[in-house]
Amino acid sequence: MRAGPLLGLAARSLRADPRRAALDTLACCLGAAALAFFVALGLGARDAARRLFPGEARLVEIVPAQVALGGILGPAKLDTDALARLEALPGVEAVYPKLDLKVPITAARPPEGLDVHWPPSLAIQIPAVGVPAALVAPDLPPGARFEDPGPDGAIPIVLSRRLLDVYNGTIAPAWKTRTLPPAPALVGLQLPVQLGQSILLYRTEARVEEGRLVLAGFSDRVPLYAAAMPIETVRRLHRAFGKPEEPASRAALLARAQEDVPAVAAAARRMGFAVDDTERSMAERVGSLVGLAGAALGLVALVMCALAALAVAQSLGGSVRARAKELAVLRAVGASAGDVRALVLAEAALLGVVGGTLGLGVARVAAAGADRALARALPDSPLRPETLFAFPPWLLAVGLGVAVLAALVGALAPAALAARLDPARSLA
Amino acid sequence: MISLRSLRKSFRDAGEELRILDGVDLEVAAGELVAVVGASGSGKSTLLYVTGGLDAAYEGEATVAGRSWRALPERERARHRGATVGFVFQSFNLLPMLTALENVCLPADFRDPAPPPAERRARGLDALERVGLGAKRAKRPEQLSGGERQRVAIARALFAEPRVLLADEPTGNLDAASGAAVIEAFGALARQGLAVLVVTHEERVSQVASRVLRLEHGRLHG
Repeated sequence: MRAGPLLGLAARSLRADPRRAALDTLACCLGAAALAFFVALGLGARDAARRLFPGEARLVEIVPAQVALGGILGPAKLDTDALARLEALPGVEAVYPKLDLKVPITAARPPEGLDVHWPPSLAIQIPAVGVPAALVAPDLPPGARFEDPGPDGAIPIVLSRRLLDVYNGTIAPAWKTRTLPPAPALVGLQLPVQLGQSILLYRTEARVEEGRLVLAGFSDRVPLYAAAMPIETVRRLHRAFGKPEEPASRAALLARAQEDVPAVAAAARRMGFAVDDTERSMAERVGSLVGLAGAALGLVALVMCALAALAVAQSLGGSVRARAKELAVLRAVGASAGDVRALVLAEAALLGVVGGTLGLGVARVAAAGADRALARALPDSPLRPETLFAFPPWLLAVGLGVAVLAALVGALAPAALAARLDPARSLA
Repeated sequence: MISLRSLRKSFRDAGEELRILDGVDLEVAAGELVAVVGASGSGKSTLLYVTGGLDAAYEGEATVAGRSWRALPERERARHRGATVGFVFQSFNLLPMLTALENVCLPADFRDPAPPPAERRARGLDALERVGLGAKRAKRPEQLSGGERQRVAIARALFAEPRVLLADEPTGNLDAASGAAVIEAFGALARQGLAVLVVTHEERVSQVASRVLRLEHGRLHG
């Protein structure tokens, strides 16, 4: 039997008993809606967590322990030897030493060429950390230079991507000034600064130099609170301002894979280092909670799909028994047992398609409602996610597919029953 | 066209074996209308379903249009039935969710290859016109009288241009006038070359039947 007539006959059979069809459709609808809603919530919440904590998932930030008892391999100092041993740890792809700049840098004028409102008395101290070029190179635009320019050159800096969101979302509205353009348009901006000048009392260095910072790009590998500059520049400034030499104040370990991160962190701890996991642990905690909640809710959704399959099985089973004579008539006019089986399965597939489509619509509406509730419940902030849900096309396909699958699974036994019915006995 | 040889079939009822067909032999040629009469429960319907290949649990040989049901796999049996046999039932057995025309065209859904939609509709309308119900093609069964329903059922049986027509008490639910019209229709179909086998209580069938046989104790008597 061809698909067209089969589906047409199946649709008319369903229309003949609209109450039963509506209940079965509702069961499929609820299953698909629950599945799509919960999976979309898991995906959306994970995306939101990634936007909140966008750090590279493979990076482990380590610092010398506050209370250093010494690891089994020696004291917890981030010297050259320790960096080499960290690089040799299993699962570590690269080690990037970081050096906090101990020379204060203050900006008292706006970036050149950028029309922003800068209050006359405003001075901003810019925390900075020195990093190797290799750490931020993947995020920089082609041709961007990230190397020590020497005493007279503009110092290249890289900022966190989120800084722009925070500025546009909070600072610009507070200052009633225009928001900044997208990140690529800002690359190359220069900011006049005073090296050695601090906004804090007694923290200004004995001498202050005029200098310039030039924005080389944005990266998720740079913390929100600081500007990253070449580590050679930090060492040069430390020498120029008489600060003590040190190889690194912290280090970023790049794991070969995200799965290696826990083992790498544990090995670093055994060496006597502390893992600075402020952002990472927050992201991991949020990610774990989202994953756990998503898995639990996904399980609930699958249970609902299984219940939908049971509902369809019970309903279609009853329908097949009630329609035994009709099915026998089909056999009398030329239908094979396989045709009758296919008809019942086609009815189930239609229920699944309609129920699944409705369910996906219900999930979208429920998600929109939840987002509106979230918007009312959380204060306006650039970090507030616009949505907690993500509906990628594959999820729509999966939602529909699972609804159809649940209906088909539920219809297996009724379809087999329909094929087994003795037409002569049913017609008698 | 119809050939039944040494047909035997029995049922188990409360542990006891009831032989409902006990060596039935019957030949029905094209253009012949054979009526089988008999008491209720004598096995007339069973004989019809075995003849039409709907009941496969029997002993002996049942052949329609030169092909033995037993020799055919289930799917082939269904296709052969759809192509060569038309059924008419006492209770019409129209599908309630379909219109008269859709009921008539139903066999087309199971033809292989299926006729194109336009041809399917044209043939269905033609079959309905032949039974005088072209104007009621859009009516559903519950909107038709008993006689009209039976005529729709006959049109459905004729849709596939079968070579054999099997009718199970076709006038059982009809008033006298409608029953007479149906009987007359069967006579006309036989004259057009169909092999018609009717099981019935209706004495008037004998007026148009080539032969009237009585089924008694599992055997046919002339």
